[in-house]
Amino acid sequence: MSASAAATNRSHGSFGASVRWLLRKLGGGIFVLWAVATAIFFGIRMIPGDPAEAILGGPGSQASPEALAAARAQYGLDLPLHVQYFGQLWRLATGNMGTSYSLKIPVTDVLRELVPSTLILAVLALLLAWAMALVLAVLSTRSGGLGTALASGLEIVSAAVPHFWLASVLIMVFSTALGWLPPVSTNTPAGLVLPVITLALPLAGFLGQVMRDTMEEAQRSAFALSARARGESETGVLLRHSLRHAALPGIALSGWALGSLLSGAVVVESIFARPGLGRSLLSAVTTRDIPLVTGVALLSAASYVVIMALSDIAERLVDPRISAP
Amino acid sequence: MTLAHPLANRLVPAATVLAAALVLASCSPAATSSDTSTDAGTPVTGGTLVYASGDAEPTCLDPHVGGNYPQALVASQYLETLYTKDADGKLIPWLAEDSTVSDDGLTRTVKIRDGIKFTDGTALDAAAVKTNFEHLLNPETASSTGYLALGKIDSMDAVDATTLELKLKTPDNSLLESFSMPWVAIESPTALKRTQAENCASPVGTGPFKVESWKKQDSVNLVRNADYVLPVSTAAHAGTAYLDAITWRFIPEAATRYAALQAGEVQVIDNAQPDAIAAAGKVSTIKHLDAPRPGASNRIELNSSKAPFNDAKVREAFIHAVNVKASIDSLFFGTAPQSFSALSSVEPLAYSEESLFGYDAAKAGKLLDAAGWSNRDSEGYRVKDGTRLSLTFPVSTSQSIPAEQSLFEQMQATAKESGIEIKINLLDLSSWYGDLAKNDYDLVSAPYTKVGPSVLSVLFSSASTIPAPSGYFANHSQVKDPALDALLETAGSTKDEAERKDLYTQVQKKVLEGYYVLPLYDQQNHFLYSDKLKNVGATTAVATPTFFDTWLAN
Amino acid sequence: MSILEPALPSVDPVLNPHTARKARPGGTFARQIAAHIPWVVSTAVLLFFVLAAIAPNLLAPVDPLAINPSEAFSAPGAGHLLGTDESGRDIYSRIVHGSRASLLIGAAATGIGLSLALVLGTIAGFGGRWLDFGVGRILEVLFALPGLLLALVFIALAGPGVATTVIAVGLTTAPGYARMIRAQIIALRTSPMVEAATVLGRSRTRILTTHILPNALAPIAVLATLGLGQAILWAASLSFLGLGAPPPAPEWGTMLSAGRTYLVLAWWMTLFPGLAIVLVAAAATVLSRSLKSRGPR
Repeated sequence: MSASAAATNRSHGSFGASVRWLLRKLGGGIFVLWAVATAIFFGIRMIPGDPAEAILGGPGSQASPEALAAARAQYGLDLPLHVQYFGQLWRLATGNMGTSYSLKIPVTDVLRELVPSTLILAVLALLLAWAMALVLAVLSTRSGGLGTALASGLEIVSAAVPHFWLASVLIMVFSTALGWLPPVSTNTPAGLVLPVITLALPLAGFLGQVMRDTMEEAQRSAFALSARARGESETGVLLRHSLRHAALPGIALSGWALGSLLSGAVVVESIFARPGLGRSLLSAVTTRDIPLVTGVALLSAASYVVIMALSDIAERLVDPRISAP
Repeated sequence: MTLAHPLANRLVPAATVLAAALVLASCSPAATSSDTSTDAGTPVTGGTLVYASGDAEPTCLDPHVGGNYPQALVASQYLETLYTKDADGKLIPWLAEDSTVSDDGLTRTVKIRDGIKFTDGTALDAAAVKTNFEHLLNPETASSTGYLALGKIDSMDAVDATTLELKLKTPDNSLLESFSMPWVAIESPTALKRTQAENCASPVGTGPFKVESWKKQDSVNLVRNADYVLPVSTAAHAGTAYLDAITWRFIPEAATRYAALQAGEVQVIDNAQPDAIAAAGKVSTIKHLDAPRPGASNRIELNSSKAPFNDAKVREAFIHAVNVKASIDSLFFGTAPQSFSALSSVEPLAYSEESLFGYDAAKAGKLLDAAGWSNRDSEGYRVKDGTRLSLTFPVSTSQSIPAEQSLFEQMQATAKESGIEIKINLLDLSSWYGDLAKNDYDLVSAPYTKVGPSVLSVLFSSASTIPAPSGYFANHSQVKDPALDALLETAGSTKDEAERKDLYTQVQKKVLEGYYVLPLYDQQNHFLYSDKLKNVGATTAVATPTFFDTWLAN
Repeated sequence: MSILEPALPSVDPVLNPHTARKARPGGTFARQIAAHIPWVVSTAVLLFFVLAAIAPNLLAPVDPLAINPSEAFSAPGAGHLLGTDESGRDIYSRIVHGSRASLLIGAAATGIGLSLALVLGTIAGFGGRWLDFGVGRILEVLFALPGLLLALVFIALAGPGVATTVIAVGLTTAPGYARMIRAQIIALRTSPMVEAATVLGRSRTRILTTHILPNALAPIAVLATLGLGQAILWAASLSFLGLGAPPPAPEWGTMLSAGRTYLVLAWWMTLFPGLAIVLVAAAATVLSRSLKSRGPR
């Protein structure tokens, strides 16, 4: 759990403190976005290759000097670096992410088209991973030694499987051999099954390990003991107390999981030929499409900031004690 | 676009691919297209063809802009060219009706066909063609391929509605071949007046299909051109295309693409990998179209501008130190016959010299000893004056398919036995071009597609060693030979067809005997398609398939 | 935060024989043996691959680079235990010889990630409010950037290769470790032991070196074990994108990615290197969890 969250939560209680907390979160979020934009701006300029060539279709394009000059002027690449930098920040601040070098359409349009596709994939994968992790955790806690061993083994192995390997094997089995599911992913239920499983399985392994640990701890806590002493059933203890407890690290992990899902989406969207942020990110980096890379990075940073703030709130709702350091 | 079947005799919709490929390797003219026998039945109108491309999605659907093969593939469905190649590989007029050249070779007159309209209603005339050429030559268009093809045009004039007169800087006997390439295809002048972004999204042509919509990063949707007029009756039918529409999808993963074809989600895939072609040979419902690209063969170029390859003996030794044949046999499953020419086997003027390219480690060893590379270091590599015999080989992962990368790895292992170290660097396209521009390579494999033998000028003239502003140059073996330049110059401007052939043969001999290139095979261009699709096989002059005659059985 | 959270206790009866014995005093001898199995198996797996990395020729005398096109795509069998690849190279031999590269990539990347994290985490946890704030922001930014983007940009900058992969993976994993180390140090700083030392007037440096770091290092060992497997997985993903070790080095990620091309034709090219990765990553996890529950709390 982020310690900064714990630190800011100390002031939890009054309305003024809540506003202060919100402002601080907002400030922190803006700082993160600025830093990401800056890092990308300078980082990508250090990559060998002329951005003007990227605009004109790559270094093999044999673009004439006139064409290169025209492209530089059109995209403002002939301006001094600091002018470009502040110009870029100003445009970003006003919501203008520029025009993609490779797609020649505004980055905001590209993102608007791609976000739903990746979002569907990521949300479904996250939900499935959560569900699998919860089921495994509950079942194994309830069923004793052998069940625990089995669940634990399953979690560990699925967390150790590379995405691209899993994707290839799933295609081979379910598309080629059995013919049950399409190898190319679309937004239909059948088209989503394979990519969602590919993304969810390793994540479920991680979440499961963490949740089961916490749950077992909670089962033995004074909390649970007193509940049992009050005559609550074992299942009641599990559902009312331990599960709630186990949800905490899971919630805290959601921000991290999002990043991991986006990284996973790069691989999964490529293999299942699914349009989305991950696939665009990969092609944008290889074609040196600076505006698009910046756009995807800022979007994922922004969602990280939002998810972290939401999970802070969620944590406090699930466990009011969290404000105590 | 064109209904030509250039070299239809080589395009083998094969049931048993391996066998067919072997036949092809031994006696290609005898193998005939089996279109008529396998595609019997009454054509059905309607249906949507889903095409899955393994290439990167073009950034612009107008092949004037930039100008690469993926653009040519899709543009061949909605744009047409002035010239094209027929089923026998002969150059024939298409949107043009005829063309003549003055005695001094400096004035080219092109007659434009009458009665053809672009899909936006604009009529095709000489002025429209002129607008297209001006568009290509305008730096703001940022054309690279088409720009080079028209480079010798000095000025042009639309004399009347059907006559275009071109004044050339120097005689150019490859101009009509250039006109047959989709990168010089003719678009509606009205549409060209729009902004480049608009024209990139929906270029307007005269082809049997037109661009309906383009969902970036997903698919291009093409629909039938209901007013299509076939310029020359080379096709099996007249009128409009049978198919209602074509959905052009992008599926980068080879395995996914093949799985999608097997699952019936798509009907045609391009960039079919050798193992998939071999596997498809055992499936009766999947057919194979082999359409090698024109221009250069797929070859490894040896950088002669610096040590160790500035020594011809070392180049010769390297070529005998690697066993290309064994690797091609095992990695390509008989789908790619070995080449011994700098030109593609579909080029009529290709000159082949097998005797120069055998694996012979003993000969390589002798040559290297004679060249002063006789000592070995602790790892077994040859050294001379304290320098290891080490070759840098940047490989573009987007241009070299996995089988080709494996071939390079096998060369690396075999060359090691002769004491030659090869350092393979797998790079993305930008980094790869970067290494070439920095002259940081000894070996390189770079494709080059162009119609006609004039590609030899691009690849081997001294002028091509001078980099463009981007650092790009096409003469990767960096041959700088005044005698070769003179031959290329005359070969490119002579009006005498026999002399042209003789000169280009001399050029190729010089290049091969100088050991500047190690030919591997033709530029591979394999398509697999569902047997529900009938009458597949027509291609343009650059071997991109067209689907005017194609129909989808129920 | 993150799955590698060291503060979370593990009392897994199967993975931890120690507590298993305590938890079941009535357990039979057989049960105790059974409780040890995962631990023993994963130790054996790791030992095998470490041995393979140190002395590959002992386990696989066949040259992993020797090509033989005529034997390409041979199925697993007598001649080649795990079959051959597209160049006729022996897969078993390549996996054994590849463990050095793969384990080194994993170890080096984890080392870089942890060292960076240790510096950042210590500064944040012990350097006072402003440094903590500053490092906190840096970590926040690193977290907000997708790991793969970080790695891709870095590789585009420095060019692909083993060294770049190692640094890229190290960079990607560092922020996660740094947060945990920081949390650990803060917990220790407010512990009675350290408070007592402060009251006694010990210098900050002394407290850091004698009380905090030694106690913070134990969980780091746990993290390192777990991170090893994760780093190998990361490196494999980069190999899939064509950014891994250059050929012909037999590195698992590269082998896996090459084998994917021939999945239908030669499943063994993908299965066995994949299995090696899963085995090492899983064994490292089991071992690390077991270490964690035994370690000092």
